[in-house]
Formats: sequence, C-alpha cells, structure tokens
Amino acid sequence: MSNVSGKAYGLTVLCPIKPGHTGEIAYSDEVKCRLLEWNTRQNSPMTKVPQTYLCRYFVLDDVFTEALAGAEGRGTWLDVFACWFKPIYDLGLPREEHLKSRYLVFSSNFHGDLDAYLRGMWNAIGEEICRVWEYCYAFEQVCDADSFIAYMKKCQLDVSLFFVGSTDDPLEEQLKSLYLKQEFAHFVLEHQGMEPARLQAAFKEFIARVKPRDVKGPSWSPGQYKLGRQWEVA
Amino acid sequence: MSNIAGKAYAMNVITPLRWYMAWLNKFFFRFVGWFPSYLNGLITLSLIHYARWVVIGRNQFPHVDPAQPKENLKYSYMLFASNFNGSWDQYVDSFTFAIPKGLDLFWTGNIRYPRSVPLTPFHEYIRYNQIETIHYYSAYPLATSNDIKSAKKVKAALIEFADGWADASPDQFQKQYHALLRNLQNDLGDMSPAPIISMAAAQVQKRHLRDLRKASERAAIDKILAVDESRAGSPAASKQKETADE
Repeated sequence: MSNVSGKAYGLTVLCPIKPGHTGEIAYSDEVKCRLLEWNTRQNSPMTKVPQTYLCRYFVLDDVFTEALAGAEGRGTWLDVFACWFKPIYDLGLPREEHLKSRYLVFSSNFHGDLDAYLRGMWNAIGEEICRVWEYCYAFEQVCDADSFIAYMKKCQLDVSLFFVGSTDDPLEEQLKSLYLKQEFAHFVLEHQGMEPARLQAAFKEFIARVKPRDVKGPSWSPGQYKLGRQWEVA
Repeated sequence: MSNIAGKAYAMNVITPLRWYMAWLNKFFFRFVGWFPSYLNGLITLSLIHYARWVVIGRNQFPHVDPAQPKENLKYSYMLFASNFNGSWDQYVDSFTFAIPKGLDLFWTGNIRYPRSVPLTPFHEYIRYNQIETIHYYSAYPLATSNDIKSAKKVKAALIEFADGWADASPDQFQKQYHALLRNLQNDLGDMSPAPIISMAAAQVQKRHLRDLRKASERAAIDKILAVDESRAGSPAASKQKETADE
C-alpha cells in the first residue's frame, strides 16, 4: 500500500455517519449542509491547516449499481462464458447492493507526516472538525488531538496507488515559488529594453523586495485567489 | 456542491468490482508502484496535481463502533480521486487519448467497465459513477500543476542568477540576464485568475458586503433600541409615565 509518494501523503478517510435525524433533516444531510456553509465563506477553514495542498469532503450516500448486462465482453472469464450459457449469463448480471451506513469522506493531499498533519488540523480548526464530524459513529470519544488522530487512523483506508503530478515540497516552499514566478514575470515585462546599469540596479531592488530564499518573507497566502499585494503574506 | 477550486477540478469515481478481481487490481497498482516508469503517460499529461486509486475490499469499509451495522457486500469497490486542471471533458478525453491501455489496466475487472475507447460509453461510465464534492479546497487556486513545477524551476534559477551575477559588470549582467530568460522562457507566465475564479471571488465579495451591511444595520437598530430603553428607564421618563397614568 502506498499512502506516500516522496514527501507527499495521500490521506483517505471514510467515517460512518449515524442513521438518525435532527428535526426533519437526516444526519448525513446535516453534515452536507455544514460543509456547504464553508463554501459561502471568504475562504475555506482548511486555509488554516498547515501543509494542505488540496483536499475535499463529500458524503458517500450509497454505492452505484451497474445494471447494464453484458457490456464487458473482454472483461472477466465469467462474462466470456456468459455469451453461451444462460445460467452463467444470469450469474454474471450485476447485483444491486446498498451500504448500511453513509460515510463522510475526507481526502487530503499534504506534505509530511500523518500524525503531525492531523495534530495541526485539530489545533487549527478543532471546533469546525467537531461540528462536521458530530454525527459520525464513535466521534463522541474524540476530545483532543491524540484521540482525533486515533479516530482518523481507525477510519483510514490505504491508498493502492498515489500519483504525484506536481511537487512534494513543503507548502510554504510551493507558495513562495509561485509568488516569485508571478513577480519575476512582471519584472521581466516591465524592464524590457532597459539599459544594463539601470536594469541591474532594478534587479537588485527586486531581489531585496521579494527575498527569494526567505519563505517567511513576502509570499502567497494559502488559498489566495486574487493577485495583488494586499492578498500576500508580508 | 463544489467540484472546482480555482484552476483545479476534483473528480471522485467509485466503481464496483468482483472481490477476487480486487486482489488482482491491488497487485497491478503495487506493480506500477514498483516500476513508476509505467506512469510516464500520466506525467506527460501534466495536468494532474495529485491522483489516487483506493481499492476497498468488501470487508474493508471502516467499522468503528459496535452500534454501527456491519457492511455485507458482494462486491469490492474502487475509489478514484483526482485533482486536475481543465474541464471534465478535457481531462477524460486526454486520459483516453494518452493512456488508453493504462486506463484499461487500472479498471480491469470493474463491473461493466466499457474500456476507454470508444469515448462515449467511457464518458457515460464515469458520469454514472461520479460523486459530487461538497467542499473542495486548493492552497493555490491561481496555479496549475505546471505552474507549480515551473515555479520551482524559476525560484532555483533566480537564486542562482542573483548569487552569481547580481554584482557583475552591467554588460556581463545583461548578457547573463538574457541567458536566464532564454532558459526560463517556457516557465514564465502570468497566473491571473481564470473567469470562474473571478466570478466566485465576486460572489464572495458580494456576500461579504451584504454581511457587513446587515451587521451595520443591526448595530444601528440595537443602538436605537438601547437609547429607547435608557429613556424609558430614566427618572424623567418614569415621572412622565406616572403623570400620564394619573
């Protein structure tokens, strides 16, 4: 199993939701409402969780049933035989099945170690986590970072294949690089055709301003969706 | 629902597969993990941030509490979750055109998987089994996967150039500066928001202004009520009330 690729970690968690209702709303729908409310804010609470590259939440209400018969002639041996023998054909028809619980699915791509990530998540947005996970089985036992880590590990599924098409650098490093790329592209445009001495002086000023080595210096902030100085981390 | 976060799209697909095929699929994935060159097709596509395949055995759905009913499933399931740049059609089509054999290998044994070619049945299969994301977050909504990789290159080159040539003679500096730009010409570019980001940002701004307006209106009403209450509770007001009662 491969949850890790380089220094990137692929976390997949399925937390079973209790079957009750709050008023007329099913717990699973209430979980969805609470997550949808995050979409209406200025930015996601996940901006506060250190090292998160990309993550998502959804509710798995049920599994899908493939009702089409015989569409996979080159599939398994059963389907090949099914072409000739009716009993095998019937045996090969997809069965309808349903989950007994609904699941809150949290899937995250982040940099570093799982324990440190989950601890950072709890410390940053513990209250939000309790609100979203409130109706999950056994979540009432979660009261601190350690119990949260233990709970999430209990609900974790191993990734069979984790593909990293981007980089596995720390998030601050990625954001700093993006900031530099954007700033330098503008610098190049603004200083086209300048005579050498002035260009050199401007470049030195540019480097002093953007501080390329300093990831804590000027950079993009996590979740930043607009360009401009007021959105950057000073 | 929100399958989109800036320039990234979140795709979730869950498909049933026979339990004995689940083991074979797991082996394929492990094999590919041992020999990552099999993923070169995916790397060539270069529009994926991160993607994963999770084979869930029919007895592997998490069971965390005695009160939770145990799942009793005939099939195992494969969950595919991808973060990519571009539209749904661009992604699915480029998968089909770039790595059709890889796709067929990864989805081997999945019930009613129609194979990646021709396109229309494959589109239908993905659409039928796709689950909408409720909340999707990207730490860099303005950037694509290629932006992140090229930004890394730009940063390294910039630091090296600044260390080596910032204090050279102006002519030498300019010569090396042009060499730097030639070297980075495929990596520089503006990462302005795509229209969908601007539209979402405008909505967020609108909501924020509405909330501010509501808050200021509420504050003004509270102030008026407080003044009224203090007047009603003052000695002069009590005396006036008594006179009126008489």
